[in-house]
Amino acid sequence: MKVALLRGASLVAFLALWQWAAWVPVSFNFPTPWATLAALAALLGSGALLQATATSLQSLVLGFGAAIAIGVPLGLAMGVARGFGRVVRVYIDLLIALPTAALIPLVILSFGISIAASAVIVFVFSAPFITMNAYGGVRDTRPRLVEMARTFGASWLQLFGRVVLPSALPMILAGMRLGLSRAFLGLIVAELLLSPFGLGKLIMNSRSMFEHDKMFATVLWTLILSGAALALLAKLEGRMLRWRA
Amino acid sequence: MQALVGIDIEVKAGEFLSLIGPSGCGKTTLLKSIAGLQPVEAGRITIGARAVTGPGGAEASLVFQDFALLPWATALENAEFGLRLRGVPAAERAVAARRALAKVGLAGSFEQAYPSQLSGGMQQRVGLARALAVNPQVLLMDEPFASIDEQTRRILQDDLLRMWSEERKTVVLVTHSMEEAIYLSDRVVVLSPRPGKVHRVFEVPLPRPREALDVRASGEFARLVDELWRILKKMQ
Repeated sequence: MKVALLRGASLVAFLALWQWAAWVPVSFNFPTPWATLAALAALLGSGALLQATATSLQSLVLGFGAAIAIGVPLGLAMGVARGFGRVVRVYIDLLIALPTAALIPLVILSFGISIAASAVIVFVFSAPFITMNAYGGVRDTRPRLVEMARTFGASWLQLFGRVVLPSALPMILAGMRLGLSRAFLGLIVAELLLSPFGLGKLIMNSRSMFEHDKMFATVLWTLILSGAALALLAKLEGRMLRWRA
Repeated sequence: MQALVGIDIEVKAGEFLSLIGPSGCGKTTLLKSIAGLQPVEAGRITIGARAVTGPGGAEASLVFQDFALLPWATALENAEFGLRLRGVPAAERAVAARRALAKVGLAGSFEQAYPSQLSGGMQQRVGLARALAVNPQVLLMDEPFASIDEQTRRILQDDLLRMWSEERKTVVLVTHSMEEAIYLSDRVVVLSPRPGKVHRVFEVPLPRPREALDVRASGEFARLVDELWRILKKMQ
């Protein structure tokens, strides 16, 4: 109860600050909370927002899906084959450190300007974290549990499937949650810097037309989307990890 | 340097044997060798007619000091674990696991509990049930009650003896506690360290069933513990 009250209070404080910023004003045509909400309603009503979302989601699902499909097995393999892991982690660390500005030209060169290109950016943003978490999850397996399973005659496959994998699951899921927020980040970055598709296009257009309330509304919508997706994932995680103290 | 040298022990069927000795005497190494986890460089370990060549044999199962339960599995699933690895079908292994849990005093609602919801004593009961469920000839116990508070430890020791007198499994138990070694065992093997050698084999002629008689209060018990302490003290 107390938490809900605190959350509500912080939201009110934030809205008050926002309203003040628009009133001062902080900059030219800085939209008020009310104007933003009104623009949001209008954009939803006209269908523009939903259409943009559908387009953006394609890149997101493609990129994030690939990040899981490739990242998790790669991380698991790195954890199981230690030498392989030690070699590959260097490249992954480099990929994380790579500045986006350097990445964009490379992607344009390879994939042109398309949904595939956006998906690649989403992938590059999220896959390394998913991989490293899966890797860490495998490495954190309690040796005692492996020893115990061996005394009961577990084969290598059984050791992996019945001890290592369930043991690594909390970290894998945490990696996916982190990867999802990174994926949204990559999506917006891709659509703003790479090519105007979907939600990024809406943001760019409204900015160039000085329709800042629409711009803020689109950003707010993106936040709502990513918040909802993360909440869903957190719920799934809670279900799968009921056994935790 | 080798961990163990010149170990020549014969454990009788249905006997309760304890291994005791100062740190570094190799008692845990010896236990793990019997379990097949540790390869033996020279010599042989046989259980019945079969030589121990690796882990996972049907002859012996191990109970661990830190319980080694799978945190994501219920008590029942943990008790079933050994059977599951052997491919025993679900219905059959549930029956066997339930029977084992009942033997260690954990029947009923505890089945569905996760280890995080169980006390240390209860977790170890699950560990014991898991070891019993695969019906081994030999029960190997590595300081099983060391992480448990003394009151619970005494209760578990009595429950262990009760279960043992019904099942008559051969038990080899590693312990640091002289009272525990004397209270539970038929014989106590004292190992000396660096390298691990058999220093003495100690008979415990106390009457059974010890959990039903007030053995701990007897003069004989105190005398035996004291004698064991003298032997160990000289090795310090």
